[in-house]
Amino acid sequence: MKTITAYKCKDCGHVMYPHHYRCLNCNGLDFKEISPTTKGRLLTYTIVDQLPWGIDERGRVLGVVEFDNGVKALGVIKTAKPRIGMRLKVGWQPVRVISGEKVYGLTFRKTK
Amino acid sequence: MDMDIEIYLRPPELETPPYPPKVITLSTGKKMIVRQVDREAVPILLQAVKPTLEIERDYYDIVGARVYAELLGWYRYRVRDEFCLIGQIDGLLVGIVNTRSYSPQVDISLHTLAIERGLRIGAHLFAAKMEYSIEYLGREEVLITAESPIGFRRWMIEYELEMRDGQHELGGATPYALTRELYFRNKDRLVAGERPVPPELMEFAEREIIVASEDDILEKILGAKRREIR
Amino acid sequence: MRPVVVAGVGMIPFERRDEDSLVDMLAMAGWNAMEDAQLGDRSIDAVYVGNMASGLFNHQESVASALVDRLGLMPAAAERIENGPASGGSAVKNGFLGVASGFYDIVLVVGGEKMREVIGPKATDVVACMTHPQAEYIYGVTLPALAGMFTRLYMEKYGVTHEHLAMVAIKNQENGLLNPYAHIQMKITMEGILTHPQAHINSPIVADPLRLYDCCPVSDGAAAILITTEEIAQKLKRPIVTIAGVGQATDTHTLQERSDPTDLRAVRISSQQAFKMAGLKPKDIHVAELHDAFTILEIAESEHVGFFSKGKGAKALADGETRIDGKLPINPSGGLKARGHPVGATGVAQIVELVWQLRGEAGERQVKDASNGFSLNFGGFGNNVLAFVLRREA
Repeated sequence: MKTITAYKCKDCGHVMYPHHYRCLNCNGLDFKEISPTTKGRLLTYTIVDQLPWGIDERGRVLGVVEFDNGVKALGVIKTAKPRIGMRLKVGWQPVRVISGEKVYGLTFRKTK
Repeated sequence: MDMDIEIYLRPPELETPPYPPKVITLSTGKKMIVRQVDREAVPILLQAVKPTLEIERDYYDIVGARVYAELLGWYRYRVRDEFCLIGQIDGLLVGIVNTRSYSPQVDISLHTLAIERGLRIGAHLFAAKMEYSIEYLGREEVLITAESPIGFRRWMIEYELEMRDGQHELGGATPYALTRELYFRNKDRLVAGERPVPPELMEFAEREIIVASEDDILEKILGAKRREIR
Repeated sequence: MRPVVVAGVGMIPFERRDEDSLVDMLAMAGWNAMEDAQLGDRSIDAVYVGNMASGLFNHQESVASALVDRLGLMPAAAERIENGPASGGSAVKNGFLGVASGFYDIVLVVGGEKMREVIGPKATDVVACMTHPQAEYIYGVTLPALAGMFTRLYMEKYGVTHEHLAMVAIKNQENGLLNPYAHIQMKITMEGILTHPQAHINSPIVADPLRLYDCCPVSDGAAAILITTEEIAQKLKRPIVTIAGVGQATDTHTLQERSDPTDLRAVRISSQQAFKMAGLKPKDIHVAELHDAFTILEIAESEHVGFFSKGKGAKALADGETRIDGKLPINPSGGLKARGHPVGATGVAQIVELVWQLRGEAGERQVKDASNGFSLNFGGFGNNVLAFVLRREA
């Protein structure tokens, strides 16, 4: 499955997403590219009723997820009743149409 | 009037149950009465509509001109099955909405004209006319279109309306439908109001429909105040 | 560094201004500041314009060049400063540096934005363009959405309630009624926006837990200050208000990379810098203008700036300490919530309000005996923040 690329500092092990030239923890310059694990935990979320132009929907849930390997990323939460701390499984789906093109991104569902 | 001819010119009318008035508590804490008016109220309503005919902002001129014609047509029996609801705060007229019934199954939403802005009066009154069509008149759906971007965003997105084929009565624009199912799905989020209206509030509202002065109406719609400190 | 004095201030009412272009608004505010300074025929050395998105909002760029032309200030140096919602604060800082360094003697700083040229959802999109393009923007993130995620954590951690948030909105809209320049001129009630069983219909969700009345309006407007040296200011015969402290700090672009997302690090650091430079402490401040783009921010910022300890801002608010007649009035102007938030204008408008307050020219909303003021201009979602301390000299 396609997903995002995150970065792990080879010096201190700090995990970052998105990319930075210098490690935010130790200023290190060498990183290992890593993928997030398939599951994670919801850190915070919001239910957005006023979305920007081009997204004609209401009630999109956006949240920040911490994957089991420490990667933290924002995505679309596809569960009607989100709560902080819930376990989620990652997906990769169209999240927005920009200039006529479907753009893919992280989506999350409740684990079974 | 030559009623021998008039009888042929007047459209037939459906029998309809009345809209029960309600009171909405606004964000200012003020109470807005929403109630149905009959033909006799039209001349006073037209006084409030007239100043909007020259306001280009947010297509008030188009909406105002059409509301003027619709109300006048209804008053003089040239529009079929129209109803009109108004909003009043302390007797003052703050908004007008109207709809026309097309059949016992389908209503055509005509206009929403808010005279006071920034209090979601348009949204509350629009919701009230949908409530009347679906809950009291028992329609299966209401056909809606919007003449302003504000209206489009408010109705089409807020109510998740379904696009329909054909042309809307207003200028032939694309019609969107609020179905019974969509109405009830969104009702708790969009339809406010409490019944019955306390008798003293109702009496006050019915005693007189107060219309703001032309200058006040322009200022309320355009927000054109405080110019002196420029 | 030389002391820097705000010798003139000017604004135009924030509202929806269909009839004025962005440059019209900048020129009106700039002219008002020049007149207020009673500058006479002294020439202005440089003009800084704080503006976030004239290209996307108004299809016009290089607005600083257009402004000097409109005001007839050539050959003054001119540039536009873009720093998101902190563009105004950044323009003030750059003007300050110009005078403090001795490079310029008289500088005009103007902030402005014309946002109502596009409809609401498009304005939301323009503002969202400052989020991370891949890690945030593609998901439909808006500034209220980032604020919503922050609010949820802050409420949970510090016991801030919906009622506290509503208190900020009610207080600031009440203050706005006393400010003829404020966009929103409407008194709201706790019943109408929160406690009535149907209040959720009056104040619908924007980005849960934030509702309509938790968010600032979208406005057009401009504000300006004229700054100069002490020596020139004394000749201008206006009360002397100096920019005594300036601070600026940044934080991660995305909210998710902050180790504690409820910690507004850039607010803390920029405020500490400004206080240190001014030689003052938070308790020495008599009036503050904070960046309440969302109600939660007034509470959280009041703690991070150091006015109240962490978790105590909501209580201070509830106790009335931040009212105009309270111990530390916050946002007597109505704040972004009521004055409005034409993004590039805000940081400058905050300084204008402080100068009015410190001169005793704030009319009905005058804070008693105010001689030290503080303002905070919050860019991005807290990733670029400016803080200022202003002082009325005896």
